[in-house]
Amino acid sequence: MDIAYYPGCSLKQSSALYDLQTKKVFSKLDINLKEIEDWNCCGATSASKTDDFLSIAMPARNIGIAESAGFSEIVIPCSACYAKTLVAKEKLNNDSELKSEINSGFAKKIQGNLKVSTILEVLLASIEAGSLSNKLEKKYEGLKPVCYYGCMMTRFAYDVPSPDDVENPQGMEKVLKKIGLHPVDWNFKTVCCGASASMNDAGASFALMAKIMKDAVARGANCFVVTCPMCQMNLDAYQDEFCSQNNITQRLPVFFITELLGLALGMSIKDLQIDRHFVESTSILNLQDKVVKERDTNE
Amino acid sequence: MPSIAFQFSPADASAFSRRVAKISGQNIQACYQCRRCTAGCPAVGDEGNFSPDMLIRLVNLGDKSAAINNEMVWKCVTCYTCGTRCPNNIHTSRIVDTLKKMVKESGVEPLQPNIAYFHSSFLESGVRWGRVNEAEFMGVYEMKNILHLAKQKKFKEIYDEIFQLSQFVLRVFKQGRMHFGFLTSKGHKEIKRLKRQHQTSSKV
Repeated sequence: MDIAYYPGCSLKQSSALYDLQTKKVFSKLDINLKEIEDWNCCGATSASKTDDFLSIAMPARNIGIAESAGFSEIVIPCSACYAKTLVAKEKLNNDSELKSEINSGFAKKIQGNLKVSTILEVLLASIEAGSLSNKLEKKYEGLKPVCYYGCMMTRFAYDVPSPDDVENPQGMEKVLKKIGLHPVDWNFKTVCCGASASMNDAGASFALMAKIMKDAVARGANCFVVTCPMCQMNLDAYQDEFCSQNNITQRLPVFFITELLGLALGMSIKDLQIDRHFVESTSILNLQDKVVKERDTNE
Repeated sequence: MPSIAFQFSPADASAFSRRVAKISGQNIQACYQCRRCTAGCPAVGDEGNFSPDMLIRLVNLGDKSAAINNEMVWKCVTCYTCGTRCPNNIHTSRIVDTLKKMVKESGVEPLQPNIAYFHSSFLESGVRWGRVNEAEFMGVYEMKNILHLAKQKKFKEIYDEIFQLSQFVLRVFKQGRMHFGFLTSKGHKEIKRLKRQHQTSSKV
């Protein structure tokens, strides 16, 4: 199966490991990611705070590129890029004047039929269709993750259908259950970590992360699982600081969902570059060989 | 909690509130102050005298000066919780975005200038190169920020800023999360041209 792929700026720089893992895991599940040609920055939340026109025009250009190349679906792992692209598509479909204005300036015209998907939507559809069967090589011992979705996977400042439950999403839990993990239920799945503030209002962002961390620890979790590179970077790179400021002694690794999937599929820590985390993340990964038996495909 | 004396002038109220409603695309007048937005707002802490419902009230009262100088405009973390919970479907984050732009347009100094610098630097980097280059964008942001602090002779703040930043950069470097190439997309030309075209046509 071929699907258009928009990595975004973060996956080509500080979260390059997420780009690499996504490609590896998807290829193992027989999904061919086709990175769209000459994509541009989506503008992220900064565009909507600075320039309304650009906040639509920038992601719109990427939609045009994907549609012109004949794709019907695009997967966007970064939640900020995903949200901006989804909202731009929806707004243009509701505003034909703006759509023709934007189309007049871009070589690749926007139709507005592209399905914009989160990484979870694509993974779940594939796994539910049986793409994992006979491919799982390892199982985890003692891993108790909490799934952290952050803001921009389910909430938008515009009326668009959310890909998962807005307040209590389940996509990550469903994926992790398929690889034998039992995520811990908690209260901070969709509470903001303040990633956009950590550079310019650190106190505010650290206070938010401390609350998230305290609930995860109180629930007995020993790691976070995320899909958004902004959340991952924020919770991982600043964890020592916000924990010591808030008297939290524990430290929890912040895994991308692709890391836990990749390991279960037999890839190594080195393959997946999990050693590029800020919080020590590898000693908790106690992987056992999965006993291969006749698989019940209904399971 | 100190109380704020709001300025209310009926004539200006409707004009200002209608303008914010138009730009933000939000039906602000539908707000009946139920405060569900505030109950879910992560930016509303123990200190400070601001909240999303209060900001909407200020806009509806037509107190432009109090609205654009409200802390909420800069403390909002754009999590969109307010909008998804509002029974009247008002996305306060869009109102916050609109007020940020009005601060710029009015030429007043933002309450937290560095936050304004952060977002403008990010977008400028994205438009300049077609893709955001993290190191370049951070460099430009810090330069704007430090220059502003220097003008106010806030040298302790400059020291703290540089110290924090260098520690962060060192960590990023040590963990192999620093990127050394330069990202570009030819799309920056198309985007700039379209933006110019849009500016000319909206002036007419």
